[in-house]
Amino acid sequence: MIQTLAFYLFAVLVTASATMVILSRNPVHSVLWLILSFFNAAGLMVLVGAEFIALLLVIVYVGAVAVLFLFVVMMLDIDFSELRAGFMKNFPIGVAIAVVLLTELVLGIGAYRAGALQLGAPTGDAVPIPGRGNIDSLGAVLYTDYLFLFEAAGIILLVAMVGAIVLTHREQKATRGHQNIGKQVRRNPDEATVMKQPEVGAGVEL
Amino acid sequence: MTDFFQNTLGMSYEFAWFTATIAGILLIALPLMLAVAMIIYVDRKVWAAIALRRGPNVVGPFGLLQSFADGLKVFLQETIIPSAANKGLFLIAPIVTFTVALLAWAVIPFGPEAVLADINIGLLYVLAISSLGVYGVVVSGWASNSKYPFFSAMRAAAQMISYEVSIGFILICVILYAGSSNLNTIIVAQIGHGFGLVNAFAFNLLLFPMWVMFLISSLAETARAPFDLTEAESELVAGYQTEYSSMSFALFWLGEYANVLLMAALNAILFFGGWLPPLNIDLIPWFDIPGFIWLFAKIFFFFFVFSWVKATVPRFRYDQLMRLGWKVFLPLSLAFVVLTSGWLMLTRYG
Amino acid sequence: MVDLSQYLPILLFLFIALGLSALFVFLPMGVSRLTGAHNPDAEKLSEYECGFPAFEDPRSQFDVRFYLIAILFIVFDLEAAFLFPWAVSLDLTGWPGWITMMIFLGELAVGLAYAWKVGALEWD
Repeated sequence: MIQTLAFYLFAVLVTASATMVILSRNPVHSVLWLILSFFNAAGLMVLVGAEFIALLLVIVYVGAVAVLFLFVVMMLDIDFSELRAGFMKNFPIGVAIAVVLLTELVLGIGAYRAGALQLGAPTGDAVPIPGRGNIDSLGAVLYTDYLFLFEAAGIILLVAMVGAIVLTHREQKATRGHQNIGKQVRRNPDEATVMKQPEVGAGVEL
Repeated sequence: MTDFFQNTLGMSYEFAWFTATIAGILLIALPLMLAVAMIIYVDRKVWAAIALRRGPNVVGPFGLLQSFADGLKVFLQETIIPSAANKGLFLIAPIVTFTVALLAWAVIPFGPEAVLADINIGLLYVLAISSLGVYGVVVSGWASNSKYPFFSAMRAAAQMISYEVSIGFILICVILYAGSSNLNTIIVAQIGHGFGLVNAFAFNLLLFPMWVMFLISSLAETARAPFDLTEAESELVAGYQTEYSSMSFALFWLGEYANVLLMAALNAILFFGGWLPPLNIDLIPWFDIPGFIWLFAKIFFFFFVFSWVKATVPRFRYDQLMRLGWKVFLPLSLAFVVLTSGWLMLTRYG
Repeated sequence: MVDLSQYLPILLFLFIALGLSALFVFLPMGVSRLTGAHNPDAEKLSEYECGFPAFEDPRSQFDVRFYLIAILFIVFDLEAAFLFPWAVSLDLTGWPGWITMMIFLGELAVGLAYAWKVGALEWD
């Protein structure tokens, strides 16, 4: 009973906040609604028993990806009047995309009614290991059977990292003196200071 | 506790479970707020003692009631919402901060059985919830629509995410040794870990450097001195709290100190045996002392260390902070993941 | 199968924590109206500045390095996410699992080295 109630709570909140993402005028509000939507999707994941995926959704999407979205949206100078001025110009393209999406949606619902797709026969590899959590079972499959895909994911991450650096990094020379901590630590009193005992009335020659 | 309600008070199982859970939640949340009030007092006292001052000593015996007096004062003050601010988000930000700070305590074990939600992936849960802490800060900075809070929010966000990376890798090392990410299993794995005598991971040569890094990272993650660049008063007034007043201002403080206590608790649980007694010998009735007393003693010790650091170490510069996070902690923790797992493959799983 | 009864306390805790903190925010607002502390004026409600209105919009454009930090964080966070299931299932996967992960870490170490080399991690 509670499970059903929780499901409807999360499901309604996911749909409602997802709707708010496209309806709210302020892009920052959109991102915050998106975060709420992710969060409730994580709740749905817990309900189907995928606890690791649920927390992964929170850690990666809410904790990392949405932070980037928020950074981008907060710091872009969005001129709303200019955006609205472009509305008529881009209207035909928008309609075209909307029609394509609608067709896909209708086809998708039609395909769903036609019956389930056979994407592959379960081989029994992914059966939960008794006495262990589903994070253990996932690990046992991912790093043995699917290690090629896993390494490919690593390569994609590497490419993403290099791409981001190439796009955003600008070579700039330091304007101030750059701190070299190694050099500072290596300094010792013997070579950094000189002790002098000048006679009375005589100056010090450096 | 469910048994108690079911058998002593004759409730049905569902109702007893529900009552026990609500009681457990209140038993965590309310003492936590009390603890935060007292720990603010302790912080000020320690800081004052190191600076050869007296600290709060007027309200109540030894000034013990100072935090409650402050709380009452703040409670009766006017809530000012700047006219330029984004009103809804401005009020939601402190709510988010405080909720997130409380929520992480749901999986902290206070004893072998005394844990509210004993989930398989407790450590991941703590990591996920603490990664939400960024939002309270960023939203408050943005919603204030004022220069200083906005700068502070950007700094805070970049600082928190930078140190979260190395915290993630440090947690992996602990999970590797414990073989599980359930917090109770991690504690039990520490029985006699150090030379068969000390109940702590920190006395392991591979995990000791991880603990040092975790301690420093937890200072940075909670924006405590010397990493308190988000509220560097000489540059940013009061940081992201500049526009706040009354209880919504106080909620940021409560949340911040609740997070500091959480980090102290994680230091105790992950590296110093949590609710276990420090030594694995039963000469005196060592194991008869309830677990939560050991845990609280350890939390208090780590909080003292945090205060001590705050009183003695000057503030970092932002470039130094970023260098420490990305160029020192990140490569080091990555290298230790390789070393720890390699060592375990050779000795335990190989 | 996951024991959902361990997650219900978290949901209840979320509700209670939300209620508690909302109470903390909204109750003083009501109380200050009753006690007469609520007395706003235009100067009090202006944003914190040096005594005159701000010259420009406070939500200005920011240094691109903050974006870069966020992107690097996503990459390393995902890497950590891959490490969690690996760390708990090392006894099941054995040496092949270990070697796989070492190759994966090597790929990302290359990325880190590149970021370091081009100076993407520099702040001055």
